[in-house]
Amino acid sequence: MSILSVQQLSKNYGSIQALKNVSFEVPKGSVFGILGPNGSGKTTLLGIVMDVLKASNGGIKLFGEQPSEKHRQQIGTLLETPNFYHYLSAVNNLKIAASIKGRGEGDIERVLETVNLHQRRNSRFSTYSLGMKQRLAIASCLLGDPHVMVFDEPTNGLDPVGIAEIRQLIKKLHKEGKTIIMASHLLDEVEKVCTHVAILQKGTLIADGHVDEILINEDIAEISAANNESLLRAVEHFPGASHVKIQDQHVDIYFPNGLASLEEVNRYCFEKGITLNHLRLRKKSLETKFFELTKNN
Amino acid sequence: MLKLLKIEWLKLRHYRTFWVLGILYLVSVFAAGYIGYRIEQETVAKSAELKMIAGTAFTFPDVWQSVSWLSTLLVFMPALLIITFVTNEFVYKTHRQNIIDGWSRMQFISVKIVLVILLSVLATIAVLITAFIIGMLGDRMFSWEDSHYILYFFIQSLSYNGVALLFAILLKRTGLALGLFLAYAYFLENLIGNLLDWKLEARPGAYLPLNSTDKLIPFPFIKNVTKQMKILEGPDYTTLLILAAVYLGLYFYFTIRKFRTEDL
Repeated sequence: MSILSVQQLSKNYGSIQALKNVSFEVPKGSVFGILGPNGSGKTTLLGIVMDVLKASNGGIKLFGEQPSEKHRQQIGTLLETPNFYHYLSAVNNLKIAASIKGRGEGDIERVLETVNLHQRRNSRFSTYSLGMKQRLAIASCLLGDPHVMVFDEPTNGLDPVGIAEIRQLIKKLHKEGKTIIMASHLLDEVEKVCTHVAILQKGTLIADGHVDEILINEDIAEISAANNESLLRAVEHFPGASHVKIQDQHVDIYFPNGLASLEEVNRYCFEKGITLNHLRLRKKSLETKFFELTKNN
Repeated sequence: MLKLLKIEWLKLRHYRTFWVLGILYLVSVFAAGYIGYRIEQETVAKSAELKMIAGTAFTFPDVWQSVSWLSTLLVFMPALLIITFVTNEFVYKTHRQNIIDGWSRMQFISVKIVLVILLSVLATIAVLITAFIIGMLGDRMFSWEDSHYILYFFIQSLSYNGVALLFAILLKRTGLALGLFLAYAYFLENLIGNLLDWKLEARPGAYLPLNSTDKLIPFPFIKNVTKQMKILEGPDYTTLLILAAVYLGLYFYFTIRKFRTEDL
């Protein structure tokens, strides 16, 4: 079952189309990155999921059902900016969040300790630095230990140590079997923590799937012969290759970055008695594309 | 609903404006009534002729009307509190967070409406107690006669608070909502009313939203004179009460509709 299923979702702001017919599924237990430059529609998408924005067309499902407030209570969400009552302390703000989620107040101490805010728990929110506000927002997401979490730019405003901590936290949550949906404009961040990714650009979904398939950080020798099945068996144990697989009409041999040599591949196959009819080196095509897109915006 | 109200209380409990405006309101209501009472004691009560002309406004049963009327001059205070409290949600974007955390839009807006009703009840209780205390200071026996003016005060307060909530939801920004609300309540509606009266045969000015509830409690002083001069024919209460109910229904309807359908 998908945790979140986005179905032909469109959103217009007047004449501007913020989302154009976007569809994808977030599988259970994944760390799902929504990657795109600023203004690509990431927050709009998550806003519709959380019912703070109304879709112009299409819809979403949460846990396979029509979304309602009951579903939102089971999801820890940080959307866009940390939103808290400025005149209340961290503890009082979390009390409000906890009661809305229908959870007890017993968890507040734990989540504040998790994000290192325990010492400042009684300070007013308005006295917090940007990084502390962000950490409080993450603490609020963790209330009640939900199985699903949504983080919109979770490392915004954090210093390098804070960023590393949040990434560790996300990895830890993933290991515990939780599903995490994370929007980010940082390719590096998505690459480091996500298992799945959807790439948005100007409201259009340009790719989605497993992160290894989408954000290839490897050299790929793309080869084919008259019989790809036997070719696959022949190159299965190619020295230095990380793995091999059949992709459409080709066999792909994956190498760590910069270590592929087409001459060696050709020679190896020839020595095994196979003549290649196609030989090409492919490099992290989408990453390059993504950076180009980001630069244009 | 009780659970929702508890959460609203968590928000209000440490909100300084709530306490400052609340206490200021309580003090002002009592002070207005008491000052009125003292002035009457110093002037009217000391002269038999004046008493004949003016009557005594701060003894039972007239004290209910007098204190209610004076308190309607302060009815903007709870309304200001509602505007700042509700627009704060928009300014801090906590209205979005409440929805994200698991309130439905209907829950968010319905608890605000209940809060408006509760604040109006509290504001009315303050008037009731003040009128009671001041009445007891006077030399006449306690009487519930004419205490229906307290109910009219409640309706007027609810009406102002309902408009305040509507302005807050429509305009979202504190300064803008406060400014427009005060301008509308104390200036624009009268202006529009006068223009309509001037242009139209039916003289509908008095039936505009806030004007119509303003008419519920007539001017309570020098009653003997006003009665003689027939300045003050009693208003048509059936019409005014029906109008008040219709307007309140409209305020709440548009408040709910706006919040349920728009992008937050």
